[in-house]
Amino acid sequence: MEQKLRQEAKALLEQKKIDWIIGFEAGSLKFTTTPLITKDAADTERLVINPFITNNLASFLTEMKGRVAIVAKGCESRSIVSLIQDNKVAREDLVILGVPCPGIIDLAKIERLVGKERDELDDISRDGDKVSVKVNGKKKDFTASDVLFDHCLACELPTPQEYDILLGEERKPSPELKVSGQNIAALKELTSTERWASWEKELSRCIRCYACRNVCPACFCQRCFVEETEPQWVMPMPRWQDNLIFQIIRNIHVAGRCTDCGECERVCPVNIPLRSLTREMYDIVDELFKFKSGMDKDALPLMVHYEQEEAEDLFR
Amino acid sequence: MTVSDITKRPKFFAKDNVYLPHIVVIEKIIEETPGVRTFHFNFKDKKLAREFKFESGQFAQCSVFGVGEAPFCISSSPTRPDHLEFAAQRVGRVTNALHRLGVGAELGFRGPYGNSFPLDSLKGKNLVFVGGGIGLAPLRSLIWNIIDNRDKYNKVDIIYGARTPADLCFRYDLEAWDKDKTINMVTTIDREAEGWTGRVGLVPNVLGEVAPKAKDAVAIVCGPPIMIRFTFPVLEKLGFTPAQMLTTLEKRMKCGIGKCGRCNIGNVYVCRDGPVFSYEQIKNFVSSEY
Amino acid sequence: MSKKVNKKDIAQLLKEWSQQFNVLAPSRASGVAEMTEWDGKDTSFLEWYRNTVVPPKASFLPPMEEMFRFRKDEEGYRIEPPSKNGQKQLLFGVRPCDARAMAIVDMTFEDAYKDPYYLEKRRNAVLVGMGCTNPCESCFCTSMGTTPTDSTNVDLMLIDIGDYFLIEEVTAKGKELLAKASGLKEATKSDEAEAEKSKETSYNKVTRKLDTTGIKDRLLESFDDEEFWTKTAAKCISCGICTLLCPTCYCFDINDEMVKGEGARFRNWDSCGFPLYTKMPMENPRSEKWRRVRQKVCHKYEFYPMAFDVIACTGCGRCIRLCPVNWDITQVIESVPQKVKGAK
Repeated sequence: MEQKLRQEAKALLEQKKIDWIIGFEAGSLKFTTTPLITKDAADTERLVINPFITNNLASFLTEMKGRVAIVAKGCESRSIVSLIQDNKVAREDLVILGVPCPGIIDLAKIERLVGKERDELDDISRDGDKVSVKVNGKKKDFTASDVLFDHCLACELPTPQEYDILLGEERKPSPELKVSGQNIAALKELTSTERWASWEKELSRCIRCYACRNVCPACFCQRCFVEETEPQWVMPMPRWQDNLIFQIIRNIHVAGRCTDCGECERVCPVNIPLRSLTREMYDIVDELFKFKSGMDKDALPLMVHYEQEEAEDLFR
Repeated sequence: MTVSDITKRPKFFAKDNVYLPHIVVIEKIIEETPGVRTFHFNFKDKKLAREFKFESGQFAQCSVFGVGEAPFCISSSPTRPDHLEFAAQRVGRVTNALHRLGVGAELGFRGPYGNSFPLDSLKGKNLVFVGGGIGLAPLRSLIWNIIDNRDKYNKVDIIYGARTPADLCFRYDLEAWDKDKTINMVTTIDREAEGWTGRVGLVPNVLGEVAPKAKDAVAIVCGPPIMIRFTFPVLEKLGFTPAQMLTTLEKRMKCGIGKCGRCNIGNVYVCRDGPVFSYEQIKNFVSSEY
Repeated sequence: MSKKVNKKDIAQLLKEWSQQFNVLAPSRASGVAEMTEWDGKDTSFLEWYRNTVVPPKASFLPPMEEMFRFRKDEEGYRIEPPSKNGQKQLLFGVRPCDARAMAIVDMTFEDAYKDPYYLEKRRNAVLVGMGCTNPCESCFCTSMGTTPTDSTNVDLMLIDIGDYFLIEEVTAKGKELLAKASGLKEATKSDEAEAEKSKETSYNKVTRKLDTTGIKDRLLESFDDEEFWTKTAAKCISCGICTLLCPTCYCFDINDEMVKGEGARFRNWDSCGFPLYTKMPMENPRSEKWRRVRQKVCHKYEFYPMAFDVIACTGCGRCIRLCPVNWDITQVIESVPQKVKGAK
């Protein structure tokens, strides 16, 4: 798959069919990759496809000018479809290099299961449903579902449904989707008072780095509501109440566009279980409107189109 | 350029804490243009009002309590210390709140901060003031300072302009300077306007027409960044060296004392090493972000 | 002769010190690794390889801090300066990179106008350092003027020698701390030799290297190389992680809040990476991402050295580990072009 990707990407750039390629290359730390954004055909040699291609590259599309070839797992293709439906990016400006994805490995889960930090691991490899971790020369095997990201366990679209070139065998979603992950299940067990206290604890750690917002492909506003001063909707200080308001409003703003790609939770440096909020919003949107962002490439964007047969009596 | 030596600058800390503001009371409000107001104010603490000192070019962080703080250059002259003045254009949260205040309202005041116009190096020179819009505010502090010590300085040319007649600020100053026979006052507006019988032309162009001589002269330029950028080449053409051109730079500021980081141009903090700079210094900045 | 303390006796030592100081130690209890008030028993941090996520600078420059309160009554505004609580803090388990970073940040807060909030906390604090035995692959402290066991900027430094820590007395404050401590033993000559070996082993475990020779000049010459900076900034997402969690970053924002005539002025962490950091009403000199990325790199590796003769980076590696896109400062510094002639 990697070889084919590199060949295709190189050809596209050399034949001037595109201006930019966005993909993944090896990161500067073990078991990481980093986005590769380049105009240079020679750089395509560095493109990789491996179990650590975590980022949702679609978030870069709104700032790119020109024609772009983008490596897209299922989650990226959903975000891309959503962006196209919102007119943020034009389909004809894209060459989508589809990568059927078996799920991405969550290093934090491996660290917890093995009891060692990632610097101490010698190797991590995946073979089908088995993930092998080598530490100090000894090998430990895990079932893939124990070490993949929560959002990968809930993946409804492993194979992009919108693509120009498909770089591998199509994969179907797992028959048993584990939607909630540990955090959401635990939260649902609590009373609402307990849940409020739990969120106070989680959001007290927030430092307002806005990584959750900036990695999100659905957050494409030029000026975010937190940056407004007239009026000042939310104070910029990291008080837990202001942090909570920021998260709630952000979730409301991306409702109908969020594809549950899980990036917000992955990037949070202080481990706030943000996906608990985004997934809950995602499920509410599905329940109310029977809509899952990015799944149907011919759908109209949920929050900006109106049918007379709407659910709300208010608008009839 | 290493960190500026601030030891000789006047300091008036409330309770030894540079971040604590003094309370000042608005005594008079002048509506210069629909968007610009001048505030006359004084310290609530009469002793401080008597002791307070500052120099032309310096600024202060003035605040509307509960809304925020913003930097404003002190537009009154140190030679007329019975009250202080600053001018504010209504452009954002703090200035909007400021414009809703009336006489008697209280503000926070932290200052004076920054460096000042190098008066010693201006003595005996011909001075060319070039100002645009509200940019006249820091210049007027210096101009009145010079008028109050007139014999120490030589010729004075003032070239000031605004977009339209309604945008001319400090009209009472323009009239006074026009009447002053030791000053050559040139007022201009950008484009023809009904009822305007005065000069028409963009400030840099009018400067080129007035063509003050560069010998033994210093030009002090203040206005919107775009006006400054077009004025420097005109001065250069007239024979002014970069060391003969002074200006005041503007940046977003919060602490005003070189700590919060945001007003930097390279290793220079506009709040601490400025706001007054010569074009020569600007050319030597390690950063081109000015 | 130095003293040593058994790792099992650390809890007892901290308990004693808790009687005079507010003891802060690394902990994950809040959900993320940071310095928090010691809970009285947890010493699991002694086994950690990695630094805390939130640097100890948060004890002196907190994410959010009240500067003063104000009230409006019939006579006008009243300002209530913060009460000096004079609380003495003891930060236990500070890594050399973070300690050096504090000394670097001190230079800004002491310079010209003194910052009372930061300096008061700093002067009332004692630092007990803990050397690193297993530097991570993101660490590059040895290239940035310090080592995994450097005691320069702490009051006491603990060097791991197996079951014990050797305690290096660094300052008078540190000596005073030890004088009141029980459970300490005299270190033997073999302990001291072991400590030296431990230091050398740790030093050699730092594999990430960065050559900073001439970086100040290379950055000066490349300042206007828009192509280089655009390429460098391409994958950055302009969040604040690298700056907010950097131990040598200190930029802050100041905001007022008032409800029903009572309020306060706060300061909180801010980042040069945020788009509105330099926004003025009529223009924003850094609205473009590449300019902000350039500012961050140049501030740390060019402007700060120009002012204070020291690079504002201690190789702690947090920015590399925590960046959502694995943007790596060491790769960027290495790639800054040499002598770019008039590139615009």
